Amino acid sequence: MYFLSFILKNLTRRPIRTALTVLGLAVAVGSMISLMGISHNVEAAVAEGFDRRGVDIVVLQSGVVEQTSSEVEERLVDRVLRIPGVDPKGVDVALISMTVLRRGNSDLPAVTIGWPSSNFGFDDLMILSGRRVVEGDFRKVMLGATMAENLKKQVGDSIELQEKQFEIVGIFKSFSVFENGAIVMLLPESQEISSRQGKITGFSIRVNKSLEHPDADIEAVRERINALTDDTGRHLSAQTTKDYVKTASHVQLVKAMSWMVSVIAMVIGVISMLDTMIMSVLERTQEIGILRAVGWPRSRVVRMVLIEAVILSLAAAAIGSIGAIALTYVLTLFPKVNGFIESGIAPVVIAKGFAFTVVIGLIGAAYPAVRAALLLPTEAIRHD
Amino acid sequence: MTDHLLFADGLVKTYPDGDVHALNGVTLGVNAGEYVAITGPSGCGKSTLLNVLGALDRPDQGEVYFRGEAISKRKDLDHFRARQIGFIFQSFFLLPSLTARENVQVPMYEGPIASVRDRAKKADELLELVGMAKRANHRPTKLSVGERQRVAIARSLANNPSLLLADEPTGNLDSANAVQVMDLLTGFQRERNLALVIVTHSPEIAERADRIVKMKDGQVV
Repeated sequence: MYFLSFILKNLTRRPIRTALTVLGLAVAVGSMISLMGISHNVEAAVAEGFDRRGVDIVVLQSGVVEQTSSEVEERLVDRVLRIPGVDPKGVDVALISMTVLRRGNSDLPAVTIGWPSSNFGFDDLMILSGRRVVEGDFRKVMLGATMAENLKKQVGDSIELQEKQFEIVGIFKSFSVFENGAIVMLLPESQEISSRQGKITGFSIRVNKSLEHPDADIEAVRERINALTDDTGRHLSAQTTKDYVKTASHVQLVKAMSWMVSVIAMVIGVISMLDTMIMSVLERTQEIGILRAVGWPRSRVVRMVLIEAVILSLAAAAIGSIGAIALTYVLTLFPKVNGFIESGIAPVVIAKGFAFTVVIGLIGAAYPAVRAALLLPTEAIRHD
Repeated sequence: MTDHLLFADGLVKTYPDGDVHALNGVTLGVNAGEYVAITGPSGCGKSTLLNVLGALDRPDQGEVYFRGEAISKRKDLDHFRARQIGFIFQSFFLLPSLTARENVQVPMYEGPIASVRDRAKKADELLELVGMAKRANHRPTKLSVGERQRVAIARSLANNPSLLLADEPTGNLDSANAVQVMDLLTGFQRERNLALVIVTHSPEIAERADRIVKMKDGQVV
């Protein structure tokens, strides 16, 4: 009989308790994995958006970490374009704002993106139906595929934004989950409906980099942009895309939530495991005494209890991961959410979830394991 | 002292919850292949002596020597118990979640047989010897008390010990089963030249021993 078989028999002798322990831990771990997965997906989506467009620097108003709260003079773009090293065709100006659309009797949060007609972001949009917005369009918008589905709209329909009717001229699909859930229009119209004429929320920049020292080239451009001020003396904040992803408030918010839930999950998991393993050890006091009497060293008793905990943890992590994947899929069925998150959990997050759960299990089982090992054989055998 | 397989020298054991000396200067030698019965009234210290002899408990004073070596100085007491001593208890103490075959294998994790297959084979051989081969896949709850004790005997022999310590091994058995169990134990003791120390209240069992040690108030009398 393998030692592992012996341990499995211990776990299966109280199947309901084992199942409930696994289930309790799985719920805690599943919540943690799903939030960690969403956080990972948001961060990855932002980073991928920049990577695929070759963006090196993100520019926002200084002191602002959230793009929708940023306000930059559009005129500054010309000054940025004059900075040596900035790719003249690689400045992606945008005005991004949040709005609320009526959908039947409910409100639907929506992101509007205003781009100049020359914006290189248009090149990445796959037109599913209709066409893209072009210079000269008036009160025309394009909808991301997710947004079109949420609104049940198609080309030729109209939507109301800030009490103005806009005709939908195209439905597109982007590699970015955020763009798929957004409304895209020309920059002037976006500035008009948000009452921010002459303003943008920020822009992203491609830098002409040398092969020898690309990072230094990016840094040089970044420093020059940071030195710029607008008419009121406000500075710009130029960040590398990596730094932007790290500090972007929406990414940070989701990350903070995922860590908060992780801590709660950890506390629940440790208490649950501690409770189960203490009960299990207490019930088996006499048996542990026998094992010690027939020559099992303390280390084997500790291993027995810890491996039992690890097996429970792995089962909980497996069930929790499946639950988390299902949960993120179900969440994307809700229109209020599906423009902001992607379904599925990255393998690296699942791996982290497994590792985290095993650590939870080991922490929870440590005290019962030591307690079991320290039992004196003669006293344990007499225990009833 | 060095001639004995096991030698207990001046053992004193007092339990912390009272002033009673469970053992009060017990000196006892057991030779290889010898069958010793320890008798005496309840509470006279028989089981305590057995626990100390089997390295399950430590004396407050005195020393137990095994093949001339003081066992209190050993750092591998668990290993020593696993390889040198077989325990048999009145209540059998089989693990309820395991079959008879698996119960016999429990001490083997610390024994000389590394292969899982060989351990199972050895367990089957031992169960055959105690007449339990056909019941190898049964759990203790499906066995009679006599059968349980036979499985416990097979378990005690798992690592080929040189000393068997039995605490009232027939205490829970009817007379027919008690005879069978004692026949098995004494048979193994002779065939394998084992030292066998049995704590018993039964005069019949004590009479079969090579030597009877009587105890009273923690002392050998």
